[in-house]
Amino acid sequence: MLPNERFNANRERLPIDPRTDLPLKPRAQPGYYPGFSTLSQQSFWDATTREVVRKRVHEIPPFRFFKAEESRLLQIICEHIMPQDDRDAEHRIPIFPFIDERLHAGRTPGYRFENMPPDGEAYRLGLQAIAQISQKAHGKNFIELDWRKQDELLKSIHDAEPLPGAEEIWSRMPVERFWGLLVQDCVEMYYAHPFAWDEIGFGGPAYPRAYMRLERGEPEPWEVEEKRYEWKAPPACVSDPAEPDIAAHKEHPPAGQGGTH
Amino acid sequence: MKTPIGGEFEEAHDHEHHLGAMQRLDAPMRRFADDDEVDYLVVGVGAAGGVLLQRLARAGFRVVGLEAGPFWDTEKDWVSDEKGSHQLYWEDMRITGGENPLTFGANNSGKGVGGGSVHWAAFTPRFHPSDFEVYTRDGVGVDWPISYWDLKPYYELLELEMPVAGPAWYPWGDPHGYAYGPHPMGGVGDALIRGCTKLGIGVSAGGPVAILSGSRNDRPHCIYRGFCIQGCKVGAKASTLITHVPDAVRNGAEVRPRSMASRIQLGKENRVTGVSYFDREGREHFQKAKAVIVCGYAIETPRLLMNSACDEYPDGLANSSGTLGRYLMAQAGTVVLGRFDELVRMYKAPPAHALTEEFYETDPKRDFARGFAIQTVGPLPIAFAKQMMVARGSWGWGMRRVMMDYNHWCAFGVLGEILPWPDNRVTLSDERDQFGIRIPHIHFSLHENDKKLIKFAQGKTEEVMHAAGAKETLNEARFAHLVGAARMGKDPATSVVDLFGRTHDIANLFICDGSILPTQGSANPGLTIQALAARTADYLISQGATVFNSDKRDLTPPPVRPHLSPPGTHGKGVPRFG
Ligand SMILES: Cc1cc2nc3c(=O)[nH]c(=O)nc-3n(C[C@H](O)[C@H](O)[C@H](O)COP(=O)(O)OP(=O)(O)OC[C@H]3O[C@@H](n4cnc5c(N)ncnc54)[C@H](O)[C@@H]3O)c2cc1C
Ligand code: SF4
Repeated sequence: MLPNERFNANRERLPIDPRTDLPLKPRAQPGYYPGFSTLSQQSFWDATTREVVRKRVHEIPPFRFFKAEESRLLQIICEHIMPQDDRDAEHRIPIFPFIDERLHAGRTPGYRFENMPPDGEAYRLGLQAIAQISQKAHGKNFIELDWRKQDELLKSIHDAEPLPGAEEIWSRMPVERFWGLLVQDCVEMYYAHPFAWDEIGFGGPAYPRAYMRLERGEPEPWEVEEKRYEWKAPPACVSDPAEPDIAAHKEHPPAGQGGTH
Repeated sequence: MKTPIGGEFEEAHDHEHHLGAMQRLDAPMRRFADDDEVDYLVVGVGAAGGVLLQRLARAGFRVVGLEAGPFWDTEKDWVSDEKGSHQLYWEDMRITGGENPLTFGANNSGKGVGGGSVHWAAFTPRFHPSDFEVYTRDGVGVDWPISYWDLKPYYELLELEMPVAGPAWYPWGDPHGYAYGPHPMGGVGDALIRGCTKLGIGVSAGGPVAILSGSRNDRPHCIYRGFCIQGCKVGAKASTLITHVPDAVRNGAEVRPRSMASRIQLGKENRVTGVSYFDREGREHFQKAKAVIVCGYAIETPRLLMNSACDEYPDGLANSSGTLGRYLMAQAGTVVLGRFDELVRMYKAPPAHALTEEFYETDPKRDFARGFAIQTVGPLPIAFAKQMMVARGSWGWGMRRVMMDYNHWCAFGVLGEILPWPDNRVTLSDERDQFGIRIPHIHFSLHENDKKLIKFAQGKTEEVMHAAGAKETLNEARFAHLVGAARMGKDPATSVVDLFGRTHDIANLFICDGSILPTQGSANPGLTIQALAARTADYLISQGATVFNSDKRDLTPPPVRPHLSPPGTHGKGVPRFG
């Protein structure tokens, strides 16, 4: 596809500029820190860190865990969980290959809920469930649905009120636990990437150089000031409500996963 | 691309073993043969195991520390990177259940020399005197078999050995001061101070944390890079890897890394004879020892003892009381997140740098026993995104949007006391790990008092966040730290070990780690765990060879031995009040 055709094909999936109501063109670096580049600072990082980040950016792992059909499905789902239509083709962050790699290597976060199957099996079941729901609700494969229908189907899983069609699977695997697994993996892969650090204004690795401006959120000399702009979520998406959306687990919020204090 | 003057930083290609930016492991390490019967075999070289090895080696015992994970070279193995730090966490499979299932791995469990002290945030408040007698005072939980005053001299020693930076006057519990200066504030600490001050709540700024505010000997000061939980490459944050293990090695201790203990062997006359373990290639060995000390922490310690069940102890070694694995505790660690109009940039400065213990003690005006602390935390982007998934239900474009505001958010952590309950416990599952060892199953549910406490603590923390100027707050329910599951006590019918960590059942088998704590207070447990280890070491030294050749149980408290501190720590720093 030519860039313009691609742009038009994906119009529905692009964030909107509220001043003009037109889609915002995909760019190299979305976010409020134009010109900020963590990678431009890498010679100030220690060699081990530099190598780990270099590998992440340049060595995309081959697909080994998922079968071809599962891969196609999960890749589309990843594009809903961490949409990147506002990024130009050279600046997208690979997510699926790193999930595939984790499951292939058998790496776990160090625990499994007693009512959950092992992570790899959970993914396979979840994909199956999504395929079944799509068939039941629309008589089509998930991949063939239009973008908004796909987003709505996933939203029903987010809400822990999945559209009918996979009751048997959800009886073996709590829907909210599957959702948690999927979203956590996706955000871990996305926010591990230096492009994402640039987007959100995170300073990135800082050894041995250090940070010195600790107070009032001021930037280091090599960081940049925030420049905000308004944007509305794409019309084909239902994942950006104005208010927090935790109805699904008001009663039993899932416990946090990361370490803090 | 900019480069530093002199070119980019080079790889550490020398053959030295780096412990932080400056320190080197400067002595060759001893290697004992498997059939050489050593004095003490320590299983797990973590927060407690490291201190214990160091003391015992200094006192001249022949000691080996078996450690499941690697002996880190901080320069070659560690990174300033969230995703690249998974190797620091204990990520072997554990199964978790109950009404409020705990999460493990990065959340609370370390692997490798230093254990959890490698990736702790390094908050080091002492427990309060009241923590040792919660049953007497409040009719909940259980009393400790020792008092605060028994442990105080060891708090004082460890605060210099790590050392701890903090204010000159710390007003809560048993008031005291710190010998090393407090840290400057980052954005989160600033907000905590602002919020607390507005509400008239006392607050401690710049500590107590086991992080150097000024360079000292071969350890540089903190560079405020915020990656404490990913391991401090700088060597500013204390971990036993850099504070105690080097001195242990210098004094003849062996640390045997990548050695996973699978079974403690019971021999004749109700005495243990050594430990079976798997080496890095998965080969099984048996190390003989005159006495064994288990320091594997709250899940792995009971797991190992249960996996060592034998005819004499069918429910697990040293488990005649049936309490092994029970009374497991985690602290309520709810994170309250606040969004500010101004930028905060919470990734700068150590996550741990300010706290308040104003709500620590039981308050008769509240409808629950015991209390909580409020502390600074500083989640990096991945951790923050996961918090937003829980706290805001974020995904898709909503996740992208809230993450673009990362620098506007600030996070405080509740640290609340959850009481010990017998049904919160570790058992064995039928599944097996990579070595064929049965993996643990953990059951955890909150009880009435815990729920009321959490609700109140969360509300109070939100109030402080708003007072600091946040326009919106969210919260993520979570748990921090593990303790218990092999508790100490006076009565052998209701506890696993005595007041010095010796198992009631077997005279030459000890436990020394977070699992022996009967209750947990609202203070982070690391300092207390290490102080208990130093005390157990003094006890063992006083007992001398009787541990090796008799079943005699002498409970005389040992003298405090400050000369066993790592060199250059005791008697240094500027003494303060208290
Ligand atoms: C993210 C995070 C932040 C924290 N922040 C703080 C804080 O600010 N302040 C604080 O006080 N505490 C904090 N903690 C908790 C603190 O780290 C632990 O309480 C402490 O390290 C426990 O000490 P331990 O000696 O009992 O066990 P550990 O330090 O966990 O050591 C146990 C060691 O035993 C090894 N081991 C286990 N089983 C075996 C086996 N079978 N064979 C061989 N080796 C084995 C393990 O690999 C490990 O090295 C934090 C923890 C986390 C995860
Ligand atoms: S903030 Fe300080 S203590 Fe924490 S990792 Fe960085 S240098 Fe080490």
